[in-house]
Amino acid sequence: MTLDPLQILDVAFLAMLLVIAFAIVRLNNLFAVVMLTGVYSLVSAVWLLVLDAVDVSFTEAAVGAGVSTVLMLGAMLLTAREAKPVSASRRLGPLAVSIAAGAALFYALPDLPPYGAADTPANSYVGLEYLERTGTDTHIPNVVTAVLASYRGFDTFGETVVIFAAGLGVMLLLGLNGRKKKEDSK
Amino acid sequence: MTGAEAMEIWDAACFAVSVLLIVAGLVFVLAGAIGVLRLPDFYTRLHAAGVTDTLGAELVLLGLAVQAGFTLLAAKLLLVGFFLFLTSPAATHTIAHAAYEAGLKPLLARFNPKHPSEAEPS
Amino acid sequence: MTEYWFYLAASLGLLLSMALMLARLLSGPTLYDRTLAVNSFGTKTVLFLCMFGFVIDRSDGVDIALLYALINFVATIAILKFFRYRALDIALARMGTEPLNGERQ
Repeated sequence: MTLDPLQILDVAFLAMLLVIAFAIVRLNNLFAVVMLTGVYSLVSAVWLLVLDAVDVSFTEAAVGAGVSTVLMLGAMLLTAREAKPVSASRRLGPLAVSIAAGAALFYALPDLPPYGAADTPANSYVGLEYLERTGTDTHIPNVVTAVLASYRGFDTFGETVVIFAAGLGVMLLLGLNGRKKKEDSK
Repeated sequence: MTGAEAMEIWDAACFAVSVLLIVAGLVFVLAGAIGVLRLPDFYTRLHAAGVTDTLGAELVLLGLAVQAGFTLLAAKLLLVGFFLFLTSPAATHTIAHAAYEAGLKPLLARFNPKHPSEAEPS
Repeated sequence: MTEYWFYLAASLGLLLSMALMLARLLSGPTLYDRTLAVNSFGTKTVLFLCMFGFVIDRSDGVDIALLYALINFVATIAILKFFRYRALDIALARMGTEPLNGERQ
C-alpha cells in the first residue's frame, strides 16, 4: 500500500487532536482547559486545510480559535476556576451513551459512497448543475463561495442575522457594561 | 544564452536562496521548541520561545516569499512576516511582565550566596 | 519535483516543532508556561499554514495565516488581562485610565 505523504500529515493532526482531547478531559484547572480548547480549534482548522476545505478552515480559525476562547474566558468569571472532580460511578452513564453513539456511527460508515465519486446523489443532480453553471452565471471562481453567497444568498443572510443576535445576547448576559457601579463602591 | 535558459538559472538560484533561508529558519524554530521543553524555569523558556520564534518565523517567511516571485502571494507572505515582527516580541514582553507582576519568581531568586567581602578567610 | 519533497520535509519539521510545543502546553506547571506555549504554538501554526500552500500549490492558507497571526496576539493579551484583573469587563472598563510606567496603585 503506497503511503500518500499527505496522509502522514492527516494522521499526525488526528493524533494531536486525540492528545489534546485527553488532556481537556483530565485537567481540572479551567484556565488551562479553555486554552486547550482554543488550541483544539486551531489544530482542527489546520487539519481542515490539509483536507482541502479552505472556507471551513477559515471560519474555524476565526471563530473557534479566537473569539470562542475569549468568550469562554469571559464566561468563566461567572463560575468557578477549578472543576470539581467527578466520581467514577457517575461517569458510567455518559460513557455508555458515547460508546453507543460511536458504535452507531461506525456501523453506518461502510455505507458511505467513495470520496469524490461522480455518481453519488450529492454530486449528481443539483451539485452537478452548480458545477456546470457557476462560471457562466455568476463569474465567481470558487464554487462554494458562489453557492453560499449567490445561489443561496438568503440563507447566508439569515445565518448572519442569527449569529449577530447570539453575539448581542452573549454580551448582554455577560454584562459587559453594567459592572462599573459595583466596582466603584468597593 | 537564450531566454529560457536564463529563466531556468534564475529559478534555480531563487530556489537555492529560499532553501538556505528556510533551513536556517527551521533550525531556529526547532531549537526554540526543544529549548522550551528542556529548560528548567519559566523565564528561561521565555527566552527560548520568544527570541527564536520571531527570528525563525521571519527567515522562513522570507524564504517562502523569495520562492513566490513578484506576485500577490509574496506580498501577503511579507505582510504576515511584518505582523509577526510587530506582535511576537510584544506578546513575549507582555507574558514576562504579567508573570513578574503576579509574583512568579525566577529560579535564581532562591540562590543566595554570601558577598565575597563577607567570605571567611580560608 | 525536488521542490515538493523539500516543502513536505519542511512541513514535517514544523509539525514536529508544533508537537514539541504541545508537550509544553500539556505539562507546563504554571499557567504562564501554558500561555507562552499557546502563543508559540500559534506562531508555528501560522508558519505551517504558509508552508503548506507551497506543498499543494494552493495559496489559500496564507489568508488564514494572516487572520490567525492577529487573532493569536489578541487572544494572548486577553488571557493575560484576564489573569491580572480576574474579570474581562473590569479590564475593558479600565482601559485608558491605568497609570503609566507600571506604577502600582
